[in-house]
Amino acid sequence: MRQRIVSLLAAGAAVALAGSWAGAAFADEKPILIGITTAIQVQVGRDCVDGAKLAIDEINAQGGVNGRKLQMAVADEGEAAAEGPKTGIAAVNKLTGEDHVDVLIGGYDSGVTLAELPHISRAKTIYLGIGSASPAIQQKVKDDYEHYKYIFRVNPINSAKQAKGLLDYITGMLKGELGYKRIAILGENAKWVQDMVPAMKTGAEAAGLQVPIAEFFDVQTADFSPIFAKVKESGAQYLMIILSHAASDVFVKQWYDAKVPVPIGGIDVKGQDANFFDRVGGKAISEVSTNFVLRAPLTPKTIPWWDSFVKAYNRAPVYTASGGYDAVYIYAGAAKRAGSTDTDAVIKELEKTDYMSARGRVQFDDLHEVKDGPGFVNELFVQWQQNGERKVIWPKDVANGKMIMPPWLVQN
Amino acid sequence: MSIHRTDWLGALVVLAALALVPAILGSTYVTGIMTVALCFAMWAASWDFMSGLTGRENFGHSLFIGAGAYTAGFLNVNFGASPWWSLAASPLVAVAFSLVIGFPTLRLRGPYFALAMLSGAAVMQSLTIIFSEYTGGQDGLNGLFPFFDSELAQYYLTLFFLAATVATLRLVANSPWGTILRAIRGDEASCQAAGINVTFYKIASLMISAAFAGLGGALYAHYQLQVGPDLFAIILSINIIIMVYVGGMGSIYGPVGGAILLILLTEALRAFSEYRLWVYTLILMLILFFLPQGLVAPLWRRLRTIVQ
Amino acid sequence: MAEILVYGAVISAIYAMLAVGFTLIFGVARILNLAHGSFYALGAYGVYALTADAHLPLFLAAPVAVLLVALFGVAVERVLVRPLRRSTLAVLMITLAVALMVEQVLLLIFGSEARNVPSMVNATFHVMGADVSGQRLLALSGAIVILSGLWFFMQRTRLGSAILAISQDAEAAQYMGIPSDRIYSLVMGLSAGIAAAAGVLVAPFQTVIPGMGLLPLVKAFAIVVVGGLGSIVGSIVGALLLGYTETIIAFKISIEWSQIVSVAAVLITLILRPAGFFGKRAAF
Repeated sequence: MRQRIVSLLAAGAAVALAGSWAGAAFADEKPILIGITTAIQVQVGRDCVDGAKLAIDEINAQGGVNGRKLQMAVADEGEAAAEGPKTGIAAVNKLTGEDHVDVLIGGYDSGVTLAELPHISRAKTIYLGIGSASPAIQQKVKDDYEHYKYIFRVNPINSAKQAKGLLDYITGMLKGELGYKRIAILGENAKWVQDMVPAMKTGAEAAGLQVPIAEFFDVQTADFSPIFAKVKESGAQYLMIILSHAASDVFVKQWYDAKVPVPIGGIDVKGQDANFFDRVGGKAISEVSTNFVLRAPLTPKTIPWWDSFVKAYNRAPVYTASGGYDAVYIYAGAAKRAGSTDTDAVIKELEKTDYMSARGRVQFDDLHEVKDGPGFVNELFVQWQQNGERKVIWPKDVANGKMIMPPWLVQN
Repeated sequence: MSIHRTDWLGALVVLAALALVPAILGSTYVTGIMTVALCFAMWAASWDFMSGLTGRENFGHSLFIGAGAYTAGFLNVNFGASPWWSLAASPLVAVAFSLVIGFPTLRLRGPYFALAMLSGAAVMQSLTIIFSEYTGGQDGLNGLFPFFDSELAQYYLTLFFLAATVATLRLVANSPWGTILRAIRGDEASCQAAGINVTFYKIASLMISAAFAGLGGALYAHYQLQVGPDLFAIILSINIIIMVYVGGMGSIYGPVGGAILLILLTEALRAFSEYRLWVYTLILMLILFFLPQGLVAPLWRRLRTIVQ
Repeated sequence: MAEILVYGAVISAIYAMLAVGFTLIFGVARILNLAHGSFYALGAYGVYALTADAHLPLFLAAPVAVLLVALFGVAVERVLVRPLRRSTLAVLMITLAVALMVEQVLLLIFGSEARNVPSMVNATFHVMGADVSGQRLLALSGAIVILSGLWFFMQRTRLGSAILAISQDAEAAQYMGIPSDRIYSLVMGLSAGIAAAAGVLVAPFQTVIPGMGLLPLVKAFAIVVVGGLGSIVGSIVGALLLGYTETIIAFKISIEWSQIVSVAAVLITLILRPAGFFGKRAAF
């Protein structure tokens, strides 16, 4: 009897000792907490989370960062249209104030991100933006480095640079290759578009093109027939579009159904989706849409990354997926080089980032913006062609296909 | 409808709780959410004062909120004025808006009045987006600065103004003014026949409602540090009406409870991730169906009779 | 010019369908049904789900979707509205809750991305010099057929007379033995069905997203109030006015201004004619 009790106590002591020793060992390995703020009810939000998760799983499988595992905490930014920025600000406060994350990754709506910035700055937490395009976000880094040094943009290229890319397309492709003399410009009335369009118009006119129409429409617009009619009447030969939150699906369907004799192209964020062509029943044929990543050998990493995302989640990624993925790796890299997660040390290392991603080579300029241009991340002009195939038709040095016309404009 | 001693006691208890909770829980997250809740409480109370008493449901309350918030934004961002100026200017601008929209529309009844106010707010929202050079368009005005560096101090300031708002509105609601407003809900023609200047009272109550809504707008702007067209949105007006309803229309303090409850609820449901809003709507539906008199005010009234 | 005529007609026809349903339920049961936009959205999603998931052919999916939504409308009236009928505000709030709930459920089931509903008519037609898609013309003709059917039903059938009677004097109608409760449910179903039909007709060329019902609800509300609450004729006139104002401004000035101008027009109408064009309580 006594023997039993003693051995029981001994066993208990051994277990307790082992447990506390194990506990002590793991207690040192507090995970690195990555906070994700994004609109989780929307596809771009889910892709940000999934892209980040893929990266976190890969890094953890290789041993983590500085001996610590990576862990994710997601906070919903809500839908900007319905809730305004207050849910996003609450999300930032929750992740920084309660969960004490080491880094924030996310963003989608520029208005929400801009509103979140002072709160992120107050919390002295690093923010790697992966979805908002407004230049005003990174401008703060230059205007007030001390307070906003925490803010980086990994993805996408900011809208001012995108505008330059569009102008390049207009002068090089539309005027240069196709010989067009007259174009129309149409954009949704988001702030970044309202800033972009006048610059595009001036640039196009300076290059000798006529721009009879440069108009905006409300994001909720469901009927584009007036604008198609006006464009047709104006004699424009091409319609440059800038759509992000707006109803791209309906836009192309109405364009196709009315057989508008003007080809369309430009920025169409929804048109970047791999299943966009099927979603609109093939009516997106010949639409050109800028894209940052698609299943093509942009870099040696692109196709393997694309395939591993599809394998893990059974769907094709959108641009925020590669943003979320890259942001995690970039932070992990900086933390490794700094040897710690101390914010200021990591910022110094982040500024020295040189990371080969699926989109291109990522380096930051002095505004903490991802660099664009040859060798870096590029804005590609991708066209939907027969059977939903996508071909890069511009810039010339990365093009892998010829541009086609809408089927009803093709002379037989 | 008089204010019992118990009412004052209850108000003090609630005030103390509101003051202590963020101080104890401490994080910027809780303080931030509570600040937002208090602003919504001000908007709900101000709505209730006009619409709850006179029965003229105003579907465009966001007009005054946006007016107050953008005033704060313009003064602060474009002119570098101190936030304290916003506290004076925002209510005044909101009142100006109420006069412009109120005079032509207050003779409208029921759904007509509701639609007119809704249209007023919708027009402002569209204008804000169209004239983006001046208003920052969809992204709004950024870079406002707060009253204090400490979020907690900012919270106490907001709490102070909420308390002042509720006290003022309650006192007016309980005065002969309030009686007249309620009489107008009952039978406007009789009031007119009895020699009461109905138009004056309707306009005045709208102005008071607008003033406090604008004040709330300024406080919100200097918390959020950004103002955007979402502050003119129809959905904002509708959310406030829901809060008033859940709180108990006509009581002024009920809507305060309703606003705080619903704002905290949207945050507390984060655990449901993408189901958050669905659960919220479900709870809302249950409240709206089973408690047509609201939740907060009837609860307090029952509590009061027990205490007495 | 021809474009304005044709496109304006299509938009007005859709607005008319939405407005008539809204004014019907108000005129008869004094219910300001804020879930009206949801019936519209459910019609569109219904036909999407039936074609994409249940693989029904389009010509079958459309009426089935309309029927299902009509039944849903009846259920909403029976279960949620009837117990609260005493308070108009309570009814308003519960229909609002239904609208919010439907949007969330659609979001959770179908996701936030726009859904594609195939066109019933794929050809493009040349009408008076304007290129119009066949689907739009179908929507226009569908609206005319449905509204004519409704008029016929109201004016020429016993049930229609019963509905008219209730809208004019509910108490008297009850004394005459007309079962008002059942009529209310029926009218709600009718109203929901018409809204759903509008959704089905426009789904191929409009955005099918969970929040698609809000703007049409606001427009229906505006049209009905401006046309005169409870007046079907007023709703049709109002729909034509709003539809053509929007189309003309969109074509002549810009799409951006078309929305704000129509809202401003509503406001001005209310200020100038406080009871709408055809007044409150005007019979059909």
